[in-house]
Amino acid sequence: MARMKFLCDIERCIDCKGCVIACKEGNGVPVGINRRRVITINQGKPGERSISIACMHCSDAPCIAVCPVSALYQRDDGIVLVNKDVCIGCGYCFIACPFGVPQFPKGDTFGKRGVMDKCTFCAGGPAPNFSEKERRLYGQNRIAEGKVPLCAAMCSTKALLAGDGDKIARIFQERVARRGTGAKAPGWSTAYK
Amino acid sequence: MKTSRWMEVVNLCLLFCFLGGGLAYGAEMLLRGFGAISTVQAFKEFGVVVSPHWQAYAEDFISFVNGVGRLYLPVIVGVPLVFLIHFVAVGPKGFEHKGRRISFYGLFTRFLHWMCAIFFSLVVVSGIMVLFAKALGGGSLVLSARGVHLFCAYGFMVFAAPLFLIWLKDMFPAPYDIKWLLCGGGYLSKKKVEVPAGKFNLGQKMWFWLAFVGGAVMFYTGYVVSGLSLPQAQIAGYIKIHLILGLFLVALFITHLYMSLFAVKGSLKSMISGYKWEEEVRVLHSRMLK
Repeated sequence: MARMKFLCDIERCIDCKGCVIACKEGNGVPVGINRRRVITINQGKPGERSISIACMHCSDAPCIAVCPVSALYQRDDGIVLVNKDVCIGCGYCFIACPFGVPQFPKGDTFGKRGVMDKCTFCAGGPAPNFSEKERRLYGQNRIAEGKVPLCAAMCSTKALLAGDGDKIARIFQERVARRGTGAKAPGWSTAYK
Repeated sequence: MKTSRWMEVVNLCLLFCFLGGGLAYGAEMLLRGFGAISTVQAFKEFGVVVSPHWQAYAEDFISFVNGVGRLYLPVIVGVPLVFLIHFVAVGPKGFEHKGRRISFYGLFTRFLHWMCAIFFSLVVVSGIMVLFAKALGGGSLVLSARGVHLFCAYGFMVFAAPLFLIWLKDMFPAPYDIKWLLCGGGYLSKKKVEVPAGKFNLGQKMWFWLAFVGGAVMFYTGYVVSGLSLPQAQIAGYIKIHLILGLFLVALFITHLYMSLFAVKGSLKSMISGYKWEEEVRVLHSRMLK
C-alpha cells in the first residue's frame, strides 16, 4: 500500500511561505500554532537554501512510541494523526520528535498546555469524515476528497511534493537527473570530491 | 598575399573564440564557486538547525518514558503492603493521654503544615493520575488532573517556603540519629523503650529534606517541562529528574501517611491541637526532655 510522505526539493524552495499560509488559513490553525514552517540556511549569503518542514509522518514514528495514552496513531497509508479527545498535552511527543513538530496552545492558567496539534497531511482526524467536529479540531480532509495536502497544492515552484513516497521519490529523481549530475551539478565539488 | 590575410582573419576568429569561451567558463566557475552547496551538505546544515542533538538523547528518552511507569507501580503497591504487614505484625504504638501536655506546633506552623499537606497530597494524586493516564482513558479527566497538578505545585511552594524556615533549625542531623536508625526508630516492637530523637527524629528529618528541597526541585523541573521553552535534550533531562525524584517523594509520602494516620495513635490529633502527651514525648522524642 502507498505510504504518504512529504518531500521538499530544496533546489526549488524560494522561502515564499505560501505553504505555511495555506496550511494556517485552510485548516483554521489558531495564532501561535504552526503546523508547517520554512527554515532557511545561509540567508543572504552564497549557498542560501530553504526547506519547508511539517510532520514527516515517519514510518517508525517516535511520537507514537512515547505517547502515554496512545493518542497518536498511524493510518494504513502511513499518515500519523493525533486523537485530541484522548491527548493529555504531556509534551513527550515534542521531545521525541526529530523535527520539533508537535505544537501546544499556550495561555491557559498557570501555563497549562492544551492538547497537541500537528500536520494531519490534510487527512482530518479520527472524527467522522467531513463532520463539523473534524473540521474544528483537525481542519480539512482533502485526502478523503482525493486531493493532495493544501501546502503542496499551493506551492508555486512545486518544491513541496506530497503523496505516495515511491512516486514523489521518482519525481525527485527525475528532477535531479534533469538538473545534471557530476561536474555540472551544483555542489559537486563539496559532495563528491 | 591573399592567403596570409585569410589566415590572419582565421587566427583572429580563433583567438576571439578561445578568449570568449575562456571568459565565459571562468565566469560560470566563479558563479558556481559562490553559490555552490550540495544538497547533501544543505540537508546536513538543516539537521543542525532543526534537531541538533536528537540522536544523542532520543533513544534513551523513549525507553525511559516507556519504562518509568513500571517503577512507580511497585512503589504505589509495595510500600503500603510493607506497612500493612507492619500493622498486622507489630501494630500501632499507643500512649497514655494523661499527664503533662507538651507544646509541639504553634498555630501558624499548623496552618502552614495543613496547607502544604492539602496541596502536596493533591500534587501526588494528580501526578499519579497523569502517570497512569492510559488506564484512566486520557482526555479531559487527565487534562484537568494536569491543571490541578500545576496549580497545587504553586500552592505548595507558597506555604512550604515559610514552613521550611520555621522547621529548619531542628532538622539538621544529630549524632544520635544513627542510633535511632539502628533501633528502627522504635517502631519494630510495641515496647515503649526510649528512642534517641529530639523534636524531630531521623525519619521526620529525611521527610523534611526530601519534601522541601526535593519539592523545590520538583517544582522547578516541572515548571521547565510545562513551559517547553528549552532545547528538547534539556527538557528530556528535566523530565527524568522529575520522574525519578517523584518516585522517592511518593514512597516517603505514603510512609508519612502511614506514620501519622496508623503507626502512632494520636499523632494526627497532635498536629491539629499542637500538643503531644508527655509519655509519647518521653519515648519517641526522649532528647527533648533531657
